[in-house]
Amino acid sequence: MVVRYVRVEAQQLDFAEFYREFKDACLFAVLVSVDDRDVAQELVDEAFARAWASWRSVSRHPAPAAWVVRTALNASVSRWRKRRREVSLPQPGNIADLAAGQADSSLDPRVMAALTRLPARQRQVVTLRLLLDLDTGRTAEVLGISASAVKAHLARAIATLRNNLIPEPQQEKRS
Amino acid sequence: MNDNDLITAVREQRDKVHSRTPVDQIISRGRTVRARRRIPPAVGGLAVVTAAAVVLGLGVSGAFGPAHARATGTIRTTAFTLTRHANGTATLTISPRVLLQPSTLQSDLQQDGIPALVTTGSFCSSDPIPAGFARVVSGPTGTPPTVTINPAAMPAGTELSFGNFQYSSSRTDTEIELIDASTHTCSSALPTSPPDDDGVLMLGNGSGMGEPAGS
Repeated sequence: MVVRYVRVEAQQLDFAEFYREFKDACLFAVLVSVDDRDVAQELVDEAFARAWASWRSVSRHPAPAAWVVRTALNASVSRWRKRRREVSLPQPGNIADLAAGQADSSLDPRVMAALTRLPARQRQVVTLRLLLDLDTGRTAEVLGISASAVKAHLARAIATLRNNLIPEPQQEKRS
Repeated sequence: MNDNDLITAVREQRDKVHSRTPVDQIISRGRTVRARRRIPPAVGGLAVVTAAAVVLGLGVSGAFGPAHARATGTIRTTAFTLTRHANGTATLTISPRVLLQPSTLQSDLQQDGIPALVTTGSFCSSDPIPAGFARVVSGPTGTPPTVTINPAAMPAGTELSFGNFQYSSSRTDTEIELIDASTHTCSSALPTSPPDDDGVLMLGNGSGMGEPAGS
């Protein structure tokens, strides 16, 4: 009985440390894929709760934070499917409106919009490499693609972001 | 703007977002998730044969009608089999392919001394969940899945919540949780992405990060 108690407590401390380290990055990663700060918070909270519920196996995942983000985004898709007859599809750019006017007013709407508009695979690589700080090998393992493919997607993502972040006047000069 | 500047700009945005949920709240919710015991759907021929045999034994009216009958401590319907044992425990086997009739199972459980709230298409839970679930319910084991219920271990004022969901024409799942009989809420939300018992179903597939390259 005592051993079991100690073991559970140790597991809890381990999870708490993981949560403190990754909760903000996971929230941001989900925020760039959904169009609502409260929804992102709800999805991430539930995903972390599921991670805790299965912590013995999730802690052995190559990147538990990636598991959390993925679980949250899967739930987001399920949520959207259930409500698709009631609400319209999230439109790219809504997140920028949110960042500009609501809770996270300190966010740069241009950067947020540029992230939101990335193609899916590029956004996944950016999420893992830049937001969750995974290395190339771990990112490749999580996504099930080669390391060279990760590098290629990241290079394209950075090019896309740079292109989208060029100030309007400069874009006009180039065209 | 060079690559490093751009990466810095992205990470600066990330560092401005802060989750406001305390870890204790996450762990509390996680315990709720963990405490639920999903009776997993059985697949394959055995389950089909078993269900078919029960239907044949009861006749057509057994599907949703009151065609259950108590015999030697056992109640059988097409949706479930409930057996009361001499030591006070009961075993419950739920067919993974037949949607429960809530009132039937609920009254049969109560006849066996098991306070229960049975719902289909919704699930009722308390927050916080009462302690002691592991002493009350064990399993599931076998095919079709069977749980053993010990009503003597149920804390006073609690009941067992059974939520039966139909995911497809050939698959239903049942979740069981201990709830406070006086304070609980029910939700019709389908449990998201039903995980395996260890909760890792979503790894390696799905429509999240595993989808085909978008570029």
